[in-house]
Amino acid sequence: MDIDYLATVILSSLSSASILLIATIGLAVVFGLMGVINLAHGEFLMIGAYSALTATQMGVPFVLAIPIAVAVTMAIGALVEVLIIKRLYGRIFDTMLATWGISIVFYQLAVMIFGTVTPGIGMPQSNIQIGDYSLAGYPLLMIGVAALMGLFVYFLMTRTVYGMKARASIQQPEMAQAIGIESTRVNTLTFSIGCGLAGFAGAVLLPIVPATPSMGFSFVIKAFLTVVVAGPVTLTGSVLTAIGLGGGASITASFLTSVAGDIFFFLITAALLWLYPLGISAKWRRKL
Amino acid sequence: MSYSNAIHHRAGTIFPFIAAILALGLARIIDPYLAYVATSWVIFGLLGLSLDVVWGRGGFLSLAQTAFYGLGGYFGSVVAINLSAVTGHSLLWSLPAGALFGALIAGALGWIIFYARMGALQSTILSYTFTLLLWSVSQSFKLDAGSAVIGGDNGMSNIPGYIPGFGAGAEALEPAGALMFVVLVAALAYFATQRLMTGTFGKIIDSIRLDIEKTELLGYDVRRYQVLNFAWSGLLAGLAGALFGGWSNYLNPSIFSVQEALLVPIYVLVGGLGTLAGPFVGATLIGGLSFWLGGGAVGGQTTLILGVVLIGLVLFLKKGVLGGLGDLWRSRLPDPNEAARGAGAVSIDPDELADILSEAEAQAGPAKSLRAETLFKRFGGVIPVNEVSLAFIPGQPFSLIGPNGAGKSSFLKTCVGVYRPEGGRVLIGDRDVTRAPIFQRVRAGMGVKNQKPQVFGELSVRENLWVAAYSRVRHRQRANGIAARVLSMLGLEAQAEVRASVLSHGQQQWLDIGMVLCLAPRVVLLDEPAAGMTKEETRELSTLVRILARFTTVIVVEHDMEFVRTLEGQVTVLHQGRLFAQGDIDTLREDERVLDIYLGRREHV
Repeated sequence: MDIDYLATVILSSLSSASILLIATIGLAVVFGLMGVINLAHGEFLMIGAYSALTATQMGVPFVLAIPIAVAVTMAIGALVEVLIIKRLYGRIFDTMLATWGISIVFYQLAVMIFGTVTPGIGMPQSNIQIGDYSLAGYPLLMIGVAALMGLFVYFLMTRTVYGMKARASIQQPEMAQAIGIESTRVNTLTFSIGCGLAGFAGAVLLPIVPATPSMGFSFVIKAFLTVVVAGPVTLTGSVLTAIGLGGGASITASFLTSVAGDIFFFLITAALLWLYPLGISAKWRRKL
Repeated sequence: MSYSNAIHHRAGTIFPFIAAILALGLARIIDPYLAYVATSWVIFGLLGLSLDVVWGRGGFLSLAQTAFYGLGGYFGSVVAINLSAVTGHSLLWSLPAGALFGALIAGALGWIIFYARMGALQSTILSYTFTLLLWSVSQSFKLDAGSAVIGGDNGMSNIPGYIPGFGAGAEALEPAGALMFVVLVAALAYFATQRLMTGTFGKIIDSIRLDIEKTELLGYDVRRYQVLNFAWSGLLAGLAGALFGGWSNYLNPSIFSVQEALLVPIYVLVGGLGTLAGPFVGATLIGGLSFWLGGGAVGGQTTLILGVVLIGLVLFLKKGVLGGLGDLWRSRLPDPNEAARGAGAVSIDPDELADILSEAEAQAGPAKSLRAETLFKRFGGVIPVNEVSLAFIPGQPFSLIGPNGAGKSSFLKTCVGVYRPEGGRVLIGDRDVTRAPIFQRVRAGMGVKNQKPQVFGELSVRENLWVAAYSRVRHRQRANGIAARVLSMLGLEAQAEVRASVLSHGQQQWLDIGMVLCLAPRVVLLDEPAAGMTKEETRELSTLVRILARFTTVIVVEHDMEFVRTLEGQVTVLHQGRLFAQGDIDTLREDERVLDIYLGRREHV
């Protein structure tokens, strides 16, 4: 195996891992700060993708379509939180079932509005040459996007008032309320941000993953597994897990098939959960 | 017992029986097409039952039921296609094959989930991704298994219908016959499940759902029960899958789809979670509604409506049809919890206690010592148990005291098996239990009462004691006898049929202690038993501990110095994870060093 090929595999695996991280981070934020798994996460990704697609079809440049997608998903996320999630605090399985219902409703609405087949948008053309191999530039760009997203969430949580309040609310809910943090407000914002991050992911990945009503499902398997393997220290845990598992699955997939990659992912996840039943970060001392 | 009360008691048998008879009768009368469609409702009900077993009773929301259903369907059908070509008969092959395969897969997945002791969330997500994974795998999975062709996306066709006869000329059942057959199979599966769930196995499964930690502290191998329960649910799902294959004569990957999986909790929630019969009601209602409304305005948007229905159910109607009706009926019956209101303070019968204890000694052998040898436990930089060596021997009560953060509870938890020590050994009698799981330590003779009362709130007082006694004797009648004796010792006979959750805090503490006594423990560990008790109750407790110490080794972790003094036993002081001082309470009270650490004076802090 020559060095160029190896570099190609590593780079493309790293970009797959980054794509996974981009798709997962919103889910991780909601799980980490609310203790809730949003089973409709994939559909928020889909909404983000369709929002960006519709915006570009109306003539908005792709770069500006992304913030539009974020705004749309954040608004819908906030609405869902206020109408449904808020009523189910402390009932974790009920929340899961409700978000599952939401997921299927959004999926079906998308089928009604957009049909099952939609045109993709062209990938910005740029290739990178490594020896005899050529890699598409846009997926590689995702490595940088993932890093920026990670940094954004890190600063949001550590450097903003909202972030401190949100972390206080999950770590010591009663104490947080006692010092006057309105945890329901914080939760609405958290859920909305999580959905916004999903929308961002859907939009920014649009050139790679075309918008279809069922696109959410293809992401969520890996995203869910990443988050549960990561455990309570969601940000650092998810970054590590996404790189390890996403990269591994991508390497498996590049040698075998993408289904083999999925199976690899599932089996490794089961093995990791065997070793760390509450996630790899369950015993870490850091909290973010 | 009144008429209404008696029927209510047996409602889970009577009404399903009537419903099955009715369905068998109706099958002959109704339109064949309706009979054909209604067959699928019964199959879906069976699938719903499989979730109710694991979620409503076992307490684990599994989203993998359609995976077992689909796998059972595929496997059963492959077997049926190959063998019915030879023998004619299809049902004899497809149903057992599907059910066994479903049980096998569920058992394997359950083994991973439960033996790893995964968190609830992790378990549910793993089960969901298992379904999603099968969905994506089955799209491209192609295999020729004998004369059966699994064609990935194209699915598998030519699955034989329900053929009851042998030989080449054997014919599949007509719609009416098929419905009757499916009703029969579903009824058998239901009654078998109902028997299982109202019997001993079901009691233990209920206990696990209500308080898994306590169930293990009673000496049950909880993980084995969980895996068995999950395997049983897989068996039901696999059976439903095999029935579905024969009904539709065709299977494709959509059986693993999210839309399909979504239906299962809906059936359960509509019918009533944990009612077992509910899923059949739910499936029939949902099926009936979409059958009669199917052509109207909502036609084609079933998925959308089902999603909304699920959200609505979760938000507003958690109990479902049968759960709601059951509540209504119960409110018109005499309240079995009435007896709890008039009850006064618990006063134990010392003679009865001594009798119970000496009988337990005759059965379970003499008291055993508990020894810790250089036990060491750390959490990061904190070392709550720092090379503690202690021997608790039979003869007198031992008290473990120390200021907050001294490591008393951590020491206790390491002995019980909640924490795994990094060094040292724990011995019960001569047996090294350092690596043994909690339930094996209990079987070796350890009895534990935690600080908070741990009782199974939804079970009656008698049932609570029975579950504890059964764990030791594994014999229903003998467990009944032990429960009755402990009940009379506690003076709680009048409250025997009351739900444990309506007892007062003090009564729950006593019930908890009673459950520990049912285990006939040879070493008893009590963690702050006097916490939250009144003066009189504390006095009773002191009597109990002193009598107990005549027959077994007793270790009490306590804050209440007055209580410790009344025990007249050996006292051990822990400080900063280490053994600090030992002696009787009066000597220690004089000890300046002990006073220093309690009062926070400088010298030894």
